[in-house]
Amino acid sequence: MRDAEIPSKAPLRVVIAEDSGLLREGLARLLADAGLEVVAKVGDGPGLMAAAEQHHPDVAVVDVRMPPGYQDEGLKAAIEVRRRVPNLTVLVLSQYVEERYGAELLDGGAAGVGYLLKDRVADVSDFVAAVRDVASGGTVLDPEVVSQLLSRRRRDQRLAALTPREREVLSLMAEGRSNHAISIALYVTEGAVEKHVKNIFGKLGLAQTGADHRRVLAVLTYLRG
Amino acid sequence: MSAPMALGPNVEPGHDSASPFRPPSFAGLRAAAGFLLSSLPLAIFWFAVLAAPILLGVFLAAVWVVVMGLILAVLSWTGKPQWQTFVHGLALISAPLTLLSVRGAQAERRRIARSLGYQMSSPYRRMLRGSTLDRAHARAEDPAAWRDLAYILLLVPVGATEFASIVAAFVFLVGTITLPAWLFAAFPEGAPLWQEVQIDTLPEALIVAVVALPVSVLAGYLLITGLSQAHIALGRALLGPSRRAQLAERVEELTESRSRVLAATLAERRRIERDLHDGAQQRLVSLAMELGMARKKMATDPVVAWQLIEEAHGEAKRALAEIRDLVRGIHPAVLSDRGLDAAISALADRCPVPVEVDAELDGRPPEAVETTAYFVVAEALANVAKHSGASEARVAVRRVPGDRLVVEVVDDGKGGANPEAGTGLAGLADRLAALDGRLLVESPAGGPTRVRAGLPLGAADGTTRGTP
Repeated sequence: MRDAEIPSKAPLRVVIAEDSGLLREGLARLLADAGLEVVAKVGDGPGLMAAAEQHHPDVAVVDVRMPPGYQDEGLKAAIEVRRRVPNLTVLVLSQYVEERYGAELLDGGAAGVGYLLKDRVADVSDFVAAVRDVASGGTVLDPEVVSQLLSRRRRDQRLAALTPREREVLSLMAEGRSNHAISIALYVTEGAVEKHVKNIFGKLGLAQTGADHRRVLAVLTYLRG
Repeated sequence: MSAPMALGPNVEPGHDSASPFRPPSFAGLRAAAGFLLSSLPLAIFWFAVLAAPILLGVFLAAVWVVVMGLILAVLSWTGKPQWQTFVHGLALISAPLTLLSVRGAQAERRRIARSLGYQMSSPYRRMLRGSTLDRAHARAEDPAAWRDLAYILLLVPVGATEFASIVAAFVFLVGTITLPAWLFAAFPEGAPLWQEVQIDTLPEALIVAVVALPVSVLAGYLLITGLSQAHIALGRALLGPSRRAQLAERVEELTESRSRVLAATLAERRRIERDLHDGAQQRLVSLAMELGMARKKMATDPVVAWQLIEEAHGEAKRALAEIRDLVRGIHPAVLSDRGLDAAISALADRCPVPVEVDAELDGRPPEAVETTAYFVVAEALANVAKHSGASEARVAVRRVPGDRLVVEVVDDGKGGANPEAGTGLAGLADRLAALDGRLLVESPAGGPTRVRAGLPLGAADGTTRGTP
């Protein structure tokens, strides 16, 4: 479970870009049920661009594979739409997650970016929380991407100095979770999490920062370095 | 140490296993000189062995042709002539000759390989099992046996030339070294060197000897290497497979590799079917069942219904994960989207053993080459993770001269991988062979294991794709 969000008065406005009609309608229903307003549903990259420019939504939920090539059109469209429409946040969904794609997405700035396996939609409340996180400028990365990043840096001496518990905390931090959310996920107190986070930052030689999303950024920069 | 094991055929027509030129060493020169000197005695030996069968064969063949010719002429007038008997008879008559020629030629091939370092593949047609007569017939019809005979007959003058040249070179060398000792005995008046110039004092004789020595050593060296190369050329022309035989062999290889690839494709389909059937399909069945039960229980027992829905939800997520893994095994999306470098990096990230990736490619290889190279790395890394006990591995991808792509996976594990035991590596060798590629597995007991695949880049469609 993620942070309990307090729904603001005006519901979040969402654009869905997904070529499979079944999934598009399912996502729309799921998000509408959760109290979000789906302002447009499109099936390809140009459609996403048009909808984003017309409706100025808070967040776009984008599938990676879309027509015409069914390769990574959605990813390209997501990167492009973030460049063209300022303040638009994007959550990219994919059948597979690859660290490489995550890196390309994050290259345009990590604020208001999400990259999740499509399967995560099945855990409805987690998924809705992720959409809200991204919409409010947070960073959400799929655990699989994080584990790929960690395995890439596994020979790093400083990373090896972390205790298993600290590693768990680091993974959850990289996924974009707050201390509160981490404490719930690991069944420990928030104070314990704070202590772990402090140790991690010390061992990795990172500067402590207050805001959650800047903290994620520091961790990601370290992992991708 | 086990020798490197090459899987798949050597698929470069017109090339034999070793390069015809070796950097000369002193031992090599000595071996070559010995080879050239022994050609003549061996030629005389084989000529002596073959003389009787040749004479007998010519005589019998003449008799056979005349006698059978007459008989057949009569028969063809009256009824059906038996041409078969005529041909079989000639084959039988030439049997001792061809058999001995083949024996001699095989000894020569071994001698050339041992002394000159030039390996030749067998030029003979595949011998079918059958009666002695059938085999003799097949041999008589194989042009390679007759080329063997030509080589042995040619070896007499060639061997004589080689023998004479080497002996002359040796005499010349010894003569140069001992020049000051015998010069004045042979020319009491002084040896005429150039018009008016005479060598008539000891210092002059010494100077000539000192100048002449390197010249005669160089001449001897050039003579030995030149004659060796000439002999290799002769061997290649008469003892090696003819162009036609090479093409025939290649057609056979391609036919075999094609059917193996076809079989591998069918096996792959069966595996996918089995994986889907045993995995995702079963999970979906149980999911549907649980949902059905939940619907029935909803009114009467909401608590149980809730539990069933929980289980169904978990089942659905597991089915998704299984299908995802299966689909990635069939074709990884990142490979077509981002190319070999990204796809191999993703493989390395997933491998439980730390893997260093070193990929240097400009532009993208043809899709078939890229995919095959990817699966070589995937299989090799799977083996590293499962069997090697390695603590780290390294993947290198390179474009090498000759427009080939070379992929190499090396680990520091315990070795002992047998490419013929597992289906994985053997299947890869077939896939590579279909693209004219080769797989080399080096895995001595105690390690390390080195899997190396080479693929021609122009294989699939002759084009190189640009980076997107």
